[in-house]
Formats: sequence, structure tokens, C-alpha cells
Amino acid sequence: MKTAVANEHEMGWDFEKAAMPYVDSLYNTAYRMTRNSEDAEDLVQETYLKAYKYYDKFEEGTNFKAWLFKIMKNTFINNYRKKKLTPHKIDFSEIEESYERVIQKNAPDLIKDPETDIFQDMMDEDVKRALDSLPHDYKMVVLLADIEGFSYKEIAEILDCPVGTVMSRLYRGRKMLERTLLEYARKYGYIRGGAEPAKMRSRKDEAKPRKKKEGAEEEAEVAEPEENEEEILFAGAEDEDFEEFEVEEEEEEKFEIE
Amino acid sequence: MLCRDVKRVVYFFLDGSLGDRKKQDFDSHLRLCPDCESRTKLARKLREFLRRRVERINVTAPDRLKMRLTRSIRAFRTEWSR
Repeated sequence: MKTAVANEHEMGWDFEKAAMPYVDSLYNTAYRMTRNSEDAEDLVQETYLKAYKYYDKFEEGTNFKAWLFKIMKNTFINNYRKKKLTPHKIDFSEIEESYERVIQKNAPDLIKDPETDIFQDMMDEDVKRALDSLPHDYKMVVLLADIEGFSYKEIAEILDCPVGTVMSRLYRGRKMLERTLLEYARKYGYIRGGAEPAKMRSRKDEAKPRKKKEGAEEEAEVAEPEENEEEILFAGAEDEDFEEFEVEEEEEEKFEIE
Repeated sequence: MLCRDVKRVVYFFLDGSLGDRKKQDFDSHLRLCPDCESRTKLARKLREFLRRRVERINVTAPDRLKMRLTRSIRAFRTEWSR
């Protein structure tokens, strides 16, 4: 018969074997959430120790990776609350509108020429910045879905919220991210329709205009006042404004969610 | 399905999580509406771009963290076993 100590040891090895393969995933998400490596390492360590402590509470046969992410999310939220950071406020209608503007101006061009990879010139830094600019609730959902490949249901489980909330946050998060990328692309002249390439940048191709297809009248409507990204992303709207986003219940049921 | 609805469900369409009936509605709308077709293409393109890029900017856990984790788990274990 095994002693309690021996059991403890066995459980420890088990845990290490089960948990260590997820360290990169957890760390990557932690890094995107905390935005620096020191906090990310601390967050992952705290997560692992908590997970180890409660390992006997883990239900065999359920998703272990999701369970670890859930612990990490709770730890992150707790620390975040402790630090009393004010959550970002978002004016979503403004994002929707500016997204529409950007799309309408650029989408026809972008699509007509599928051979041109419109974003190939975009710098990794811009992508990081766009991701970083997402408010954390939205970033978390986008990371879990689009990087870690969790299903809506698993994300709902990790975040302790209804699937409908996951879907609406995913919708908004992705839209914000795309909008920001399109804005960067336009602003830095990666795509046509950019009023002026940014002067700070020294990419050799940034000033080179994309193939001209139509007359000059198209160029004329391009000029638009520079928008203040901070204002667009973080102005106005209270939390309740999000909740009425219409993935309504009956609508939600029509999505066959796997 | 209206254009407005297409905008709302385009990501879920790309996720492959629309129900059969909704997916059919979506497809038939796209056949008749070049604008929505374009949007969907753009959304797909953006998604592919993001997927590629995000893979590139993903970070992996530093070795010192892995060592730290192993050590602290073992330390914890010893503490408990006492």
C-alpha cells in the first residue's frame, strides 16, 4: 500500500508530465496579456503552482489545457484587479464606422488584385501594436480562439461567461484588430488610399504608389483628417453598451456551435 | 439574409460555425451581392494574414522559466511531503 507521501510524489510527476507541454502556449498568451516578459513569467509560474495545488480537483477526461488557461485567466484578473487598472472604454460604433470607411475606400482595390499581398510589407511591430491595442477582454478572446484554437464553448468555460458573450467579443475583437491593421496599412502607405506614407519610416517601397487603375477622381476622395487612434479606441461607451450587441439568443441558437 | 446580417456573421462563417441553413443563406446572398462577396474575401485574406503573422510573432517560454517551474513545483512537493 502506498503512503500519502508516495502518492504525493506520483501526483507531482504526473502533473509535470501533463502540464509542461503547455508552457509555451501559456507563456505566449501571458506575454500578450501582460505585455512584458517578467510579468508573463510570474503569471505562468503562479498559474502552474496553483494548478499543481489543485491538481486533484481536475476532472480526468476534461480539457487539461483549457483548465490551465482558466486558472491563468483568473490569476491574471485577480492581479489586474489588485493593480486597479481602469478598464479600457470603447466606442464600438466609432470603430464600426471607421472600419466601414476604410473598407469602402480600399476593399475593392484590395480584392481586385488577389496576387498582391496587401499586407506583406506590414511590419511585425505593427501587428504586435495592433494586438496590444485591443482591450484585454477582447484580446483574450481573440488569442484563445485564433492562436490557441479553442472552441467557443471552451472559451466560454475558460472565461466563465456565456457562449454568446464569447461570440460577440470575438466579433468585436477581430473587427477592432482588422480595423487597426487597415488603418496602419493605409497610414503607412502599405495600401493605396493611404493619404501619405509616414515620414518616419524608411521602407524603400512605401512611397511607391500601387498600380494605378482608374482616374484621378479616386485619389481625390482619399484625403481625410488624421484620426486619433486613442480616441477612437478608448472614447465614450460604458460597459452596458457592449452587452446589447446583437448575437441575440434566438440568433445564437442558429449557430451550430461545435 | 441582408447585407447587415452578412457583416455580422462573416467571422462565424469563416470559422465554419454557421448552421447549415444559415450557411446556405450566406452563400446565396454572396452569389447575388458583389459587395458582400468582396467583404468576405477581404475578411478571409485578413484572417490568413493574421494567422501567418501571429505565428511569427508568437513567443516561446524561456528556458529559465521552464527550470523555474520545475524547481518550484518540486520544492512545493517536498514542502508538502514533510
